[in-house]
Amino acid sequence: MTTLIVIDQAPYGSWAGREALDMVFSLAAFDQPAALLFTGVGVNWLRTAQSAKGVGQKTVEKNLSAAPLFGVEKIFAEQEACERFMPDTSSRLAGIDLVASVKNLMTQYDHVVFAG
Amino acid sequence: MTNSPVRNNEGFLENVSSWSPDIAQDIARESDILLSENHWEIIWFLRGFYAEHEMSPPSNRLFVKAVREALGDDKGNSIYLMQLFPGTPAKTACRIAGLPRPTNCL
Amino acid sequence: MNQIPDTGTLHILNKAPGHPRFVACLAAMSNQDTLILIENAVLALPDTDTVLPRQTLALEPDLEARGLSGTAEPGQQISHQQLVQLTEQHPRIISW
Repeated sequence: MTTLIVIDQAPYGSWAGREALDMVFSLAAFDQPAALLFTGVGVNWLRTAQSAKGVGQKTVEKNLSAAPLFGVEKIFAEQEACERFMPDTSSRLAGIDLVASVKNLMTQYDHVVFAG
Repeated sequence: MTNSPVRNNEGFLENVSSWSPDIAQDIARESDILLSENHWEIIWFLRGFYAEHEMSPPSNRLFVKAVREALGDDKGNSIYLMQLFPGTPAKTACRIAGLPRPTNCL
Repeated sequence: MNQIPDTGTLHILNKAPGHPRFVACLAAMSNQDTLILIENAVLALPDTDTVLPRQTLALEPDLEARGLSGTAEPGQQISHQQLVQLTEQHPRIISW
């Protein structure tokens, strides 16, 4: 059974999203499949060229690049939010599946968890 | 003994960039491990992994998996890694390679 | 960095677009005020749904962390030190 973890909060400003990512890796460590969905302002996690050294944190973009290796099946993002915050597609990370309806996607998973 | 960098209570370096091969040898010696070519192959793999992902493999199982993807089945199996890095291989190897403690290793 | 008129209020905002306090902050701004975006609020720069006041500045390390250095005009980016100077120059400051 795949768990869908939803991140709807902005990166770096709080620990909520980071904790969600840890949850994904914990699930993966026990061979529990997981998928990630970024919605609303949370899609800003998926921007290229992040560099968090100046705010004393690890760069989320680099952590996320390990997700497929650790058995995260899919990374989804809400299409409308991506168009709002990242209209230029070159500023988005590769390998993201855009979803038109968050509601429809969530109905496909038996277990959905919101971060924070 | 080389100039020793700051380490936490479990012996992990506080700062990934304070690592050097000499320091790796010092840390390995504490666990009675004499570093061979096979050890170094894994250590450099972990250094590269951290440079790319800014994290340690989060668990032992995922450490084995990451090694398997990079170096194949002969190296990416728990028995091989256990022989090189006794105890919990992910923890022992990350400690020697100067990486942070894997988050999901008990 | 442009010369800031010292009559207006300095608004320091750290909430992301869509947050109730983000909305309240923009609504509270007057013409001569200055807005400084820090932390999550720097996401207002790439947000196509947000119209920002003319005098808007953003903290450079927070832009850099989020991959947004390219979205700000050079004169819009300020350092921590410049932020401190601005707070010294403004008699009235609201931290949202």
